[in-house]
Amino acid sequence: MTSTRPITLLIAALGGEGGGVLTGWIVAAAEQAGFPVQSTSIPGVAQRTGATTYYIEIFPVKTAELGSKRPVLALTPGVGDIDIAVASELLEAGRTVANGFVTPDRTHAIASLSRFYAVDEKIAMGDGRFDQDRLIKVIKEHARDCLLIDMARLAEQSGSIINAVMLGAIAGSGRLPLTLEQLEAAVRADGKSVDSNLAGLRAGFAAAGAKTQPAITVENKRNAPVTPALLEHEVSYSMPALAQPTAIEGVRRLIAYQGLAYAKLYLDRLRPITDADEAASAHGRLLKEVARHLAVRMSYEDVVRVAQAKISPARMRRIAREELRVTNEPFSVHDFLKPGIEEFCQLLPSFLARPILRVSERKGWLGRFHIGMEINSTSISGYLRFLMLAKLRRLRPFGHRYKQEQMQIESWLGLIAKAAGQSLDLGLEIAECSRLIKGYGDTHVRGLANFAIIADRLIGPALAGQIPSPRAADAIASARTAALLDPEGEGLAKCLAEIEGQSALRIAAE
Amino acid sequence: MERSFKKEVQALRLGDGDTFHGEGILAVTKALLQSGVSYVGGYQGAPVSHLLDVLVDARDIMAELGVHLETCANEASAAAMLGASINYPLRGAVTWKSIVGTNVAADALSNLSSPGVIGGVMIILGEDYGEGASVIQERSYAYALKSSMWLLDPRPDLPSIVRTVEKGFELSEASHAPVMLELRIRACHATGSFAAKDNRKAEFSGLNRIAGPPRFNYARLSHPPVIFTQEKLKVEQRLPAACAFIREHKLNETIAGELDDVGIIVMGGLTNSVLRALERMGLADVFGASRIPLKVLNVVYPLVPEEIRGFCAGKRAVLVVEEGHPDYIEQAVNVELRRADIQTKVFGKGPLPQAGEYTSDVLLEGLAAFLQAARPAGLDADSVAGKARGLIAHKPKAAAALGPLPPRPPAFCTGCPERPVFAAIKLMQRELGPTHISTDIGCHSFATFAPFSLGNSILGYGMSLASAAAVGPNMDRRPIAIMGDGGFWHNGLITGVASTMFNKGDGVLIVMQNGYASATGQQAIPSTVHGRTGAVPGVDIEQTLRSMGVKWLRTVHSYSVAVMTKTLKEAMRSAERGLKVIIADGECQLARQRRVRAEDADKLTRGERVTRMRYGVDDEICTGDHSCIRLSGCPSLTVKPSPDPLRSDPVATVIDSCVGCGLCGEVAHAAVLCPSFYRAEIVRNASWRERALFRLRQKVIGWLGGYGGEMAA
Repeated sequence: MTSTRPITLLIAALGGEGGGVLTGWIVAAAEQAGFPVQSTSIPGVAQRTGATTYYIEIFPVKTAELGSKRPVLALTPGVGDIDIAVASELLEAGRTVANGFVTPDRTHAIASLSRFYAVDEKIAMGDGRFDQDRLIKVIKEHARDCLLIDMARLAEQSGSIINAVMLGAIAGSGRLPLTLEQLEAAVRADGKSVDSNLAGLRAGFAAAGAKTQPAITVENKRNAPVTPALLEHEVSYSMPALAQPTAIEGVRRLIAYQGLAYAKLYLDRLRPITDADEAASAHGRLLKEVARHLAVRMSYEDVVRVAQAKISPARMRRIAREELRVTNEPFSVHDFLKPGIEEFCQLLPSFLARPILRVSERKGWLGRFHIGMEINSTSISGYLRFLMLAKLRRLRPFGHRYKQEQMQIESWLGLIAKAAGQSLDLGLEIAECSRLIKGYGDTHVRGLANFAIIADRLIGPALAGQIPSPRAADAIASARTAALLDPEGEGLAKCLAEIEGQSALRIAAE
Repeated sequence: MERSFKKEVQALRLGDGDTFHGEGILAVTKALLQSGVSYVGGYQGAPVSHLLDVLVDARDIMAELGVHLETCANEASAAAMLGASINYPLRGAVTWKSIVGTNVAADALSNLSSPGVIGGVMIILGEDYGEGASVIQERSYAYALKSSMWLLDPRPDLPSIVRTVEKGFELSEASHAPVMLELRIRACHATGSFAAKDNRKAEFSGLNRIAGPPRFNYARLSHPPVIFTQEKLKVEQRLPAACAFIREHKLNETIAGELDDVGIIVMGGLTNSVLRALERMGLADVFGASRIPLKVLNVVYPLVPEEIRGFCAGKRAVLVVEEGHPDYIEQAVNVELRRADIQTKVFGKGPLPQAGEYTSDVLLEGLAAFLQAARPAGLDADSVAGKARGLIAHKPKAAAALGPLPPRPPAFCTGCPERPVFAAIKLMQRELGPTHISTDIGCHSFATFAPFSLGNSILGYGMSLASAAAVGPNMDRRPIAIMGDGGFWHNGLITGVASTMFNKGDGVLIVMQNGYASATGQQAIPSTVHGRTGAVPGVDIEQTLRSMGVKWLRTVHSYSVAVMTKTLKEAMRSAERGLKVIIADGECQLARQRRVRAEDADKLTRGERVTRMRYGVDDEICTGDHSCIRLSGCPSLTVKPSPDPLRSDPVATVIDSCVGCGLCGEVAHAAVLCPSFYRAEIVRNASWRERALFRLRQKVIGWLGGYGGEMAA
């Protein structure tokens, strides 16, 4: 019995990425080279983006040298029996590991660092993305050799599709009995988009050869414009170093949002927190988190802010250059707005806004009457409309929304300061609950309601000493996570019932 | 069609002395032509959708051979077509997805197999079982048993598949019974090669027609009283004839092995998997020589008693490797051994699991358990079993290292016209409360996955409306039935609409009119408008419904979420009783893009005006709540890290693959989401007027202090 075994290759891809074509190239090259080869797949018919796999076996002895013998090639990939595992996407690479196809004794794992988020990751109300570092760590731990590169970016740079880059990376692994030239010939023989496919192939091959694993995409943060240094100075001498960058960013943002006085208000509001931070020996941890959330809350999303953003030159540049790739063609940008009664009342003074809102609520008009607008922001009239709204900035502090926001902010800050006196963790958890309040319309209302429920059922009792602080901090964290699970509030209701059930049991036990 | 086989079908012209290279389904087609078929047909469904696509693309080649091709309206019509072989020496083959297609075809199949056939009949079943399957997990075997049709399950390599097809026709003719050939998903798509033969022209076909019907012969009818005779014929003549043919032509294989006090009886389709498992355990070589004897059943029904007895005689134990439930083969082997009073112990389900696909790790574990129970002489069973288990021991740990991974089921494509309909249903339910939704087979069943998670029952292709018939009368709110145009023509028109009209039923039916049987790869259907061949069948769904007396009928452009939501609310609230049908009209975007992209490229080269549209999200305005994603689920609408240094939750973003279908804008409006969505348009080869207006606007905006001027440079 001979010890030569088939070389096995498992390709994990998403529907529509050309995994079938990639498989075809490899099979054609192997056939051309005279090796017995077989591929199979479970194509997910026509639909896109579902996970799918392709499987290839190549027997590395030429048919001509085998006489009448033929190897029996398997149709299903064997757990622990894979030489090369390739994935076009990082989570799918993780799936091949979880399914037992990547083993330290033999598997060469090739995976793209790019992510194509699954629906479950995208629909979370907070951050549902799977832990990327964990994926990378587990893939590295389970593979014999590992090549992790951003194949999506390489494909974009080389003007090809990801399957060509994958082919190059496979060629670069040196584990197939096929040369780069033989694979290139297969791509040429296929005859479709030959130049771009060859460019992708070479990009993948070069990346495999370089073995340098480029850093994962640097997050492209956009900071607020730099402002008169006076307030920033105040930050630098009054706050612990850890919190300073955040507070400076907050100051800059609020100057751009409303003005110098508003930024001063921001710093004034942070003063009691600075004290609380110091009292709790938090070394700026609490202050940093509160400074972050407070800046976000104080720059709440009202019509003025939306208008400001819509006519920002940087925005238009981004759309024209990055998204439309305009050279000198005419282009246009159309914005979708649907303001309702609440949006109109935002800038009215409270004495006018309150009765309008009251009547509207009684009549059930809220959430029903909206004016759907599609504004061509690249037209003169469209631009002017946004410009006018943006200019209403000065009126903002006199408006109803402003009053409401400041009230809610003050009450939230009060809770944090009080809690921090009891326990730093409790203070941090309450600060973090600010994440619940975001969005527009229904979303915003729901966020406020969720915060109110948590404040009422957990924070209040905790501050009154009815729940011990460590347990309260845990409970608030769980409730916050649960509130971000589903928009219907089922998660939060269930979570609170469990927490209160446990408390009741504990009280009964005591 | 999704995939064109125009290039590949040229391989069908190969002849004696050539070597065929290609995919399983293409090899099957070649085998049909080498067998001299007179007619072929079928209904699409994975994993044999592509077989039908191949047949359609090979029309010209088949026409040269006089082979008639029928793209049938459903599996029942395909099965009924086989009736041509009852009276005439015509070989015919049809294909469909099993188990579901066989269910639909069952009536015709019973009536076919009772009188039996003169011309060889082969049904190629795409056995949609295990990984990647999309239907209920049942075995086609039951149909073979109950109707006395023979079931072939060839070893999954091309030479073996091709030989089994050719021999299958002879078997059918020798025993006057229809033959089914089952191909699993991976076998359909397995590539390989075989020595080709010349195609054979049938004795009778379109090129040489039969002069007229035979003399009247009551025995060819499935009608009393001859049905009683036919039942006896099945067991007294056809079954023995089939067994004799199988033995004589050695359709089943025996692999000898030195550990001959044990043996393995394996379904042909699982042979490669079993041999690979044995090889990994050190009990076989890569060329298929095994230390344990194997009986490979390329014909799984009928079993030949002499072969079973011969293989088992003298063995202490055999393992039956038979995937799926019930264990028909294992039972039959037990009965056969009992009858012959052979004391061989039969293992099967036990060491191997009762249900589920026999993947590599399942087989390794099953073989290990069998060897430890059977203990073949001259083998250290424990050490071999230990080795087998060691090969797969890492799997649970590897899975635990990552924890549960987000699933990635198939989803609506970018720009799919069906997605907006479900967004509208979600919005309607938000206002009127949840209602019973009976769903169907087709792309639209992806709405059962997140983010829509809509649907209470699936009863089969075209069955949604019928399956709501007893829900409506027992529930406060009207049920909604969802059906694709594929399902409508396959079955829904009669089973659902006719039955509801007949019973004056009350309810809402949404027909997704996208123009194709899309889930299976965009095959044409009676209402297809854009035929790939130019010929348009042109049967109209709306007219059809009106002619059946449907009064409440609205056709809504499927991307108009607001109009769709309003129409749905109207249908739900209407005091008028009776069937309310909403036709959601929007062409399958995959098909549309394929057409439009080519047209646009042509226009660009000709210098004509082309606009490209895409949607976007302002990442400064988006707060990362993802409501929009929960109402859409579009692959092009995803998340990215927030550019805001003070925010941690990712924000929504539209990626380059956006086709500008407009759903984002519609949903943002209809659901009053947030003001972050925009539509961006670029005009290539614009007219001078357009360019002048654009420059003017840019200048004025620049003068007003905006962004003008800089982009127009």
